[in-house]
Amino acid sequence: MHFPWIQRCSFTSTPTLLKRQKGGPKRDTRILLIRYFLHAPRTPRPLRLSRMRALRHWTIHRAYQLHKETLRKEQELELERMYYEMRKACEQLRTIGRDGLEGVEEEGKLFRVAMEKKGVWGGVPIEYARAQTEWPSREGWNSGWTWD
Amino acid sequence: MALPSLRHPAQRSLRKQCHQCISQMNSPRYASTAAAPIDELEQSSFQAPELPSDEANQFDPVGKAKGRRKQLPPSRYQFRPPKYYRGPLAPYQPPPSSDPSSREFVPGPFSLPRMGETYKSTIAQDMMTLSYSHVIPGTPQPAAGQRLRTWDGDSPYFANRPLRAPKGGHVLRPLHKRITFRNVPRLEKITVHSMSTEAGSGDSAYLHVTGMVIQAITNVRVKTHEARTTVQQWGLKKGKYSSVTAEMKGEDMYHFLSKCVDLVMPRIKDWKGVKGSSGDETGNISFGLDPDVVALFPEIEVNYDMYPPKMIPGCHVTVHTTANSDKEARLLLTAFGLPFYGKLIN
Repeated sequence: MHFPWIQRCSFTSTPTLLKRQKGGPKRDTRILLIRYFLHAPRTPRPLRLSRMRALRHWTIHRAYQLHKETLRKEQELELERMYYEMRKACEQLRTIGRDGLEGVEEEGKLFRVAMEKKGVWGGVPIEYARAQTEWPSREGWNSGWTWD
Repeated sequence: MALPSLRHPAQRSLRKQCHQCISQMNSPRYASTAAAPIDELEQSSFQAPELPSDEANQFDPVGKAKGRRKQLPPSRYQFRPPKYYRGPLAPYQPPPSSDPSSREFVPGPFSLPRMGETYKSTIAQDMMTLSYSHVIPGTPQPAAGQRLRTWDGDSPYFANRPLRAPKGGHVLRPLHKRITFRNVPRLEKITVHSMSTEAGSGDSAYLHVTGMVIQAITNVRVKTHEARTTVQQWGLKKGKYSSVTAEMKGEDMYHFLSKCVDLVMPRIKDWKGVKGSSGDETGNISFGLDPDVVALFPEIEVNYDMYPPKMIPGCHVTVHTTANSDKEARLLLTAFGLPFYGKLIN
């Protein structure tokens, strides 16, 4: 450390001792900061709500859980419906032959072709593997839209 | 004592003043505003019936409390549940994790991840349709083969012996089930792992920076792990903390995957995709990200100066799916937009 306001004898024979670096090697400040924030207390103390607030929270939580459960069940039922429709369609394909008639030649050809699954396991093409967005809309740009 | 005897007259006079104030409230407060007579006002719960004066004079809560022989308990319910779960038979149980007073309470979810919504609306149905296999009605269910082998032979030592391990390995692979509407593969969790060899040799700064970077890109608290064995070539020492992992589920998982797929992977130079031979044969697929790729994550990129650039780590990402085979898991991940290259194994 160098303190310019402290008068020191210029003729001292031990300037190196005073000029000595103290406190070890210099560390990166960023690492110091990262350590500080990494070891900051993990969680605050649990919330303590009053009776009415806790009741409100509980009510909203239960309602949201019920809502999620309803949505989940709807989705499961929809999947089940689709599955059984596919099954029905495959059964029909299996029993029909040429010209969509039963009991004629080439019976079940369409079914066998459908079950080949060519190129299915190669994956979904990258141009179709996109997350859904709210835009562009299905109707395209509404040019007739006005403010009111 | 003089104080209690003084109190009573003082309170009486105060009460009298208050009572006067209350009775004055019915009369007009300002000369400019003509007050409506109270009978003409609309009925409301703020209008209390006027207290009879003798009843008001008898009202003396402090005196009543003084006259009580024993103090009442404090008004608040002072029960405090145990901090930690001590088993199902403990007399007092901690609150459920959905309760804000619980220590495990995590607020949220705060967002509806786009990937998760896409899965629900599109990918689940596509997966079910693509992997549909028809079973002709009346076909008997094929019996599952013998998974653990019995000891065949005349030796008396074979009696009551535990079954033998499967052929060709010690691991019992999960049985593959036909995909129906009940078991459509979905994402289960994503694990991010990063090991810093320098941390094993004594400099903990690497481990701390690694932990901070992984925490920043995954949004979950990391776990640190000790090295289990000493490996000279990697500079690993047994018992030293050398790696961090972060495990994401639900909202965080979908956000991380969409960051990877939409923001990071398109910017990697000469990147062909995830290797087709990746996976552990049970539907969990891993890929690696280099340090310069990790720096492309938006959380790192906007605050790049916060990290010492040479210490930004690479990481391994493992996507756990509920699929039973890598083939189905890969199909699911391609539907999410993760490309694969090379020979597709299993």
